[in-house]
Amino acid sequence: MIEKEIIDKIKKKFEVEGSVQRERRVIVKIAPDKLVELCEFIKDLGFEHLSSLSVTDWPKRGIYELTYHAWSYKDKILITIKTGINRDKPEIDSVYAVWGESAQIHEREMHELFGVEYKGNPDLSPLFLEEWHEKPPFRKDFDWREYVRKNFYDKENERERVYFEEV
Amino acid sequence: MELEAIGKNEYELFFGPAHPGSGNFSVKLKIDGERIVSARADPGYLHRGFEKLMEYRLPIQNAVLSDRICILEALAWNLIHAEAVEELMGIEVPERAKYIRVIMAELSRIQSHLIWYGVLSIGTGFDTGFKLAFGYRDFILDLFELITGGRVYPAGYICPGGVRRDLPESAKERIPKVLDKIEKMIDFVRAENPANIARLKGVGVLKLDDAIRLGATGPVIRASGLKTDVRKDEPYEVYDRFDFEIPVRKEGDAYARYQICIEEMEQSAKIIRQALKDLPDGDFIDERFSKLKLNMKIPEGEVYVRNEVARGEAGIYMVSDGGTKPYRVKIRGPSFLHLIPVLEFLLKDAQIADVPAIYWSLNGCPADMDR
Amino acid sequence: MAKESPQKKTMKRLIKAIWIFNWFNSCGFAELVPVVGSRWDMERFGMIVVGSPRHADVLFIAGYQTLKSIKRAQRIYEQMPEPKVVIALGSCTMTGGMYWDSYNTIKRLEDYLPVTMYIPGCPPRPEAVFEACAKIFKHVEEME
Repeated sequence: MIEKEIIDKIKKKFEVEGSVQRERRVIVKIAPDKLVELCEFIKDLGFEHLSSLSVTDWPKRGIYELTYHAWSYKDKILITIKTGINRDKPEIDSVYAVWGESAQIHEREMHELFGVEYKGNPDLSPLFLEEWHEKPPFRKDFDWREYVRKNFYDKENERERVYFEEV
Repeated sequence: MELEAIGKNEYELFFGPAHPGSGNFSVKLKIDGERIVSARADPGYLHRGFEKLMEYRLPIQNAVLSDRICILEALAWNLIHAEAVEELMGIEVPERAKYIRVIMAELSRIQSHLIWYGVLSIGTGFDTGFKLAFGYRDFILDLFELITGGRVYPAGYICPGGVRRDLPESAKERIPKVLDKIEKMIDFVRAENPANIARLKGVGVLKLDDAIRLGATGPVIRASGLKTDVRKDEPYEVYDRFDFEIPVRKEGDAYARYQICIEEMEQSAKIIRQALKDLPDGDFIDERFSKLKLNMKIPEGEVYVRNEVARGEAGIYMVSDGGTKPYRVKIRGPSFLHLIPVLEFLLKDAQIADVPAIYWSLNGCPADMDR
Repeated sequence: MAKESPQKKTMKRLIKAIWIFNWFNSCGFAELVPVVGSRWDMERFGMIVVGSPRHADVLFIAGYQTLKSIKRAQRIYEQMPEPKVVIALGSCTMTGGMYWDSYNTIKRLEDYLPVTMYIPGCPPRPEAVFEACAKIFKHVEEME
């Protein structure tokens, strides 16, 4: 079946851990310095639509896990590429050269919310937040409930006392 | 006597959130006379940080929160969140629930396309279209209130495991009557107004290669020539049992998108009639979920689900590490791509008077861009 | 008959038909636009939607506001001429609502703008919006 063929073609050229997750889903893990080469290779295989890219924060393992999802209109398969970078100094090459502006806007959002530096992205200015000077808001060590209780709510106020009880 | 050019007349205009021709979204335009030189989108007026809010809540609480990802089509986002949790937990949904979910999702698509038609008409100066669309939309909102209890937000009606309540008895007769009224409205709209058409033809043309590179999906890419729809490529729920077509156009301008809006409403009405005819009997929710248990653990793993909402392709990527709450949720909204790269590309070299027509014809929802 | 203060006399003369400013933000969009539409027609009460803050009497804050959009709402409020009224729709304006633990939404609208009336609901029905407008007239009547 076609998912197996795609995994075999990739394994011939790169050193990856790949498997078929279910029908129409293929998942591949690779080291961060070969990421852009792999993306160019799969774009030639027909995966021209970048559906989304995301960052997951694993503080216990000390890494940020990056995930790229690409869809092929020709074969109707989705491939997921995963890679891991250091959490305290997150840097990686951008895939702007492969997928164009749709990759650039996703990377701009991830830069603002997680603090990842994408080398080669033409524009990494803030997207949603104006004048935000604290650490990137979606990291696991930034607890929202503590932040909100300190800055917005007042324990003495009768209506708001309930927000200080632990759920 | 001849006029001579004194110098370049470039200035910056802020097409802001309180303008009647834009939603909760603003664009910074650099203008030279009447022609736009470049545009820069300025999002973030509605950013709440949904993805991290979902990490603090259980999946049954997230089902209520997921209505509010895009305010204008609450049931469609309810459905995609429920599918993601079910795939992670390995739950099989009963047949009757799948048919009810398809009916609700298609009603939500018709209602959202009526809003699209209404605001596109008011953006091009056709007030009758606005009043018609919002008048007929209220029939569908009454149906929602009968079935789910809320006009705009159904309070998590489509939850992981099935649906919360069964269809009431009178719904099976009322739904076809509402569909008849809407089909009559679509026939009326087909007799088109030439002044309205002249404002849409040839405006905001998007070719296919640019559309794929900029990440457009849904009606926007179908208007540029690619025949693709998640309901046919990767059928979810019971869409593979119904017979419906996908409208496609080649020109890629605002008029092509407008025609697709009208034809999609007809196809949705066709799907709902077929689903009502074949509705089977049985349970409407999986047994494990019918009594509320608050500490069900989600097994470790990750999943990426794609659905076709009214605006394009929606995706949810959910990761779980074995606890009771999801570890990371990433929401891919179609308007994020339509309103930032595609809009900046289309507004180059356009006229100022065309900005509302281009903006509303892309059918962007600022809430699902900012999340 | 008790003597009416000059402020009450002006209010009675000016607030006869309310003009609303076009700030349909967030969740209120889904329930305020049907109020303009043909089923709950608001033009029969004399209310229309205007595009400039200098023509408006009422500012509806419909739904949650983020730190970025409340600054724009404050500037619009400063530009509206007296007498003016702010009506807050929904539960997000009272205590933060469903997004109480979000870092970017504001929790108490009264810290940013002087609110005249709150309408509860998530979102409130169009009939509640009309009742609120009727209460404004009563409020002017009961002023001294």
